[in-house]
Amino acid sequence: MSAPARSQPPSPGPIRPFAFPRLERRRLENGLTVIAARAGDLPLVTAALLVDAGAASDPAGKAGLAHLTARALETGTRARSAEEVAWAFERLGVEFEAAANWDAASAHITVPAERIEPALELFAEVVRSPVFPDHEVARLRDEQLAEIMQRRKEPRALASDMAARFIFAPEVPYARPLIGTATSVTGLQRDDVEAFYRAHYLPNTASLILVGAIDIERAERLGRRFFGDWPPATPPTTEFEVVGAVRSTTIFVVDRPGSVQSEIRIGDVGVQRQHPDYFPLLVMNTILGGAFTSRLNLSLRERHGFTYGARSAFIFRRQPGPFLVQAAVATDVTARAVEEALKEIALLREKGASEEETAAARDYLAGILPLELQTTEQLAARIGDIVTFGLPDSYFQDYGASLARVTPDDVHRVARTHLRSGRLAIVVIGDAEQVTGPLRALGVGPVEVHRVEE
Amino acid sequence: MLRIPFERFRLDNGLRVILSREPSAPVVATNLWYGVGSRDERAGRTGFAHLFEHMMFQGSEHVPETAHFALIEKAGGTLNGSTWLDRTNYFETLPAHYLDLALWLEADRMGWLLPAMTQAKLDNQRDVVKNERRWRVDNQPYGDWDERIQAMVYPPEHPYHHSVIGSMEDLDAASLEDVEQFFRTYYAPNNAVLTLCGDIDPAHALARVRHWFGEIPPGPPVPPIPGVTELPPILGAPVRQVVEQDISLPRVYVAFRIAPFGAADYYPAAVAAYVLAWGKASLLYRRLIRDLRVAQDVTAYAFPIVVGASMLVVWATARPGVTADALEAALDRELATLRNVDAVDVERAVNLIEARQLSELQRVDERADLLSMFTMLFDDPERINTELDRIRAVTPRAVREFAESRIVEENRATLQYVPRK
Repeated sequence: MSAPARSQPPSPGPIRPFAFPRLERRRLENGLTVIAARAGDLPLVTAALLVDAGAASDPAGKAGLAHLTARALETGTRARSAEEVAWAFERLGVEFEAAANWDAASAHITVPAERIEPALELFAEVVRSPVFPDHEVARLRDEQLAEIMQRRKEPRALASDMAARFIFAPEVPYARPLIGTATSVTGLQRDDVEAFYRAHYLPNTASLILVGAIDIERAERLGRRFFGDWPPATPPTTEFEVVGAVRSTTIFVVDRPGSVQSEIRIGDVGVQRQHPDYFPLLVMNTILGGAFTSRLNLSLRERHGFTYGARSAFIFRRQPGPFLVQAAVATDVTARAVEEALKEIALLREKGASEEETAAARDYLAGILPLELQTTEQLAARIGDIVTFGLPDSYFQDYGASLARVTPDDVHRVARTHLRSGRLAIVVIGDAEQVTGPLRALGVGPVEVHRVEE
Repeated sequence: MLRIPFERFRLDNGLRVILSREPSAPVVATNLWYGVGSRDERAGRTGFAHLFEHMMFQGSEHVPETAHFALIEKAGGTLNGSTWLDRTNYFETLPAHYLDLALWLEADRMGWLLPAMTQAKLDNQRDVVKNERRWRVDNQPYGDWDERIQAMVYPPEHPYHHSVIGSMEDLDAASLEDVEQFFRTYYAPNNAVLTLCGDIDPAHALARVRHWFGEIPPGPPVPPIPGVTELPPILGAPVRQVVEQDISLPRVYVAFRIAPFGAADYYPAAVAAYVLAWGKASLLYRRLIRDLRVAQDVTAYAFPIVVGASMLVVWATARPGVTADALEAALDRELATLRNVDAVDVERAVNLIEARQLSELQRVDERADLLSMFTMLFDDPERINTELDRIRAVTPRAVREFAESRIVEENRATLQYVPRK
């Protein structure tokens, strides 16, 4: 055997194509969509019910209701108390989880294939006939209030909440936390939960997703058996327009006296998931701050040592979610870190990226997709996105080709269009006394100092 | 019954190699465990094992600075490393046809790290790690709990007395000479386990491992873990600390010394953690959250660590209006009931552990890490298939006996966080 040639990276072997799981779907008479994808080599099934009951549907003044409703599902059915529900699942080794995001609510379980029938029967009972006992809903509401309180003391959570508040106009739902505000949640009652459930948890806007050791025939049979007699109804509509709150770049310092780090968020209104620029944006953001070797991380971490990590993301929702750059930096370098981050944004806007950088970002994104689809839970979640955003069933199969079409010109174009450096909300959670002066001296925009409301 | 296949080999230089074929997706997980962690740090150099891990990503003789991350990401892979009490691990998961790339990178830093080390790189990564400490510990509510709990459960002469992240002063003191000495002492094929899991042909993979790693010379014998590693089974007397912090809700941690991971006595403790706080039918969720409404959340965790003793840590955050003392008293009463635990509680816990384990094993990176772990800690990769048997063998009586001997006042470290006035 020859001595290894170590001075250059070895060439890859022949590529082996990834066979992405195929999605198959059926529609039941009551409108419920059943989706199955066979995946994995272990005898496991993940079952998820996705309903059109996200926080974007919270009624006026009742922010946090979608979250509370999803969490309250498992607190009792006509036949079982909350504790009996928990026992019934967990003796099967099953953990029931339900949560709402902005666009949808979902409940899911993962279960050994041989126990799918009893587990799914119980799952159906929980999501179809919750009774929302008064004392359980009150307990969960109080926990939600306490969580809101805790988020004010936890710098990362506070930074997300404040960034949303400063990026979006006050009437936009995305301006406030998904779990609601102290005022809105204090007012939530059991009857609100029940009304929200009745209006939004409907088979005709829901999907039952079954992933793992299962095929579409069995999925349809199970769906029909446990959800076939779930009566449909007319769903309400949710409409709002997303408007930004910032006219010209502004720095918002939220005072946290004695803070040894500043949590920085540089934000703007981003774009909606269905936007035609989605794939160019993914590539552009990967170059800016979406990978370890992105420009922001190489600058703020590897070149300057300001932070443990810097990244950026477009957060995609049905309506334009936020674009955010984030980093936690040592207090004494706060202004310099903001300056470097703004420099990277401006550079990408002005000069775009090279062919080599674009290709590396495309290859990274295409390569990691299979790694993000290793478990039945991961796959069910990604199928949930396909449903939520109305993407084609061939989405995974088309993913590589969609990325391959992105050129350096596209990257430059979407950087110019979607990184709007003149109207950013720059949020700094830190020690105002130490950071305000240097931030003002940057001259990028007015500096407002805010206190954390108790 | 699990049947994860693997083959094991040992190169002439002492490198242990585990190969596990899982062909359902064309990806491969590379996982390298070095038998060195914060337990091996000497006085005045806490945090060094972790700082050193950062230096491993700064290039080596044939790999330019930042190329390690750049090459793997460009290949469509993910990578990282982590440092803990007993070990440091490095891992890449990437498309299977890039196997040689991962092996080349890992071999280069195992064999040829030092020529690439500079003071500037050390100073940069020292700043990064100090920011990691601020981010995880100093600027985070309750962020120093593990540091405080370790210092209470293990005496100063024990290698688990100090935290993985280390102190700012010790990080400041770290020098390039320390980097060189640490590398020569611990980073050698005879102190490492390399696992490949995924779409590989084991014979071909072994040939590639020999190709890249075969000529790296073995290091000297690894020195024994410093300090006093033997410990009495229990603390002997209760210890407690009350810490004021800028938090909104009090939180109480209680920790108990338990048998080390891998010992027969460890498994009842692992099951007890699930009985106590995993799932909404767990003992503490039922009582403290649902019935009494004194807690906002509950957690229990048995540490999988092996030197002298491990620990079971249980914590709960108070509901608004509930004091730390009231929460602690309620927590105590519930912990006492573990001595009479019902069979159904144990059955529930075992089933949850089993399901969770099966679910995690869907990931090739998780399989690879477990194979490396069981080989490094117990010289027994087959434990990936048999570990669940040890959990299933735990009887209600074993949990009761565990509670009687270990969940006792003389073995208790208590840490209260209370809001600063």
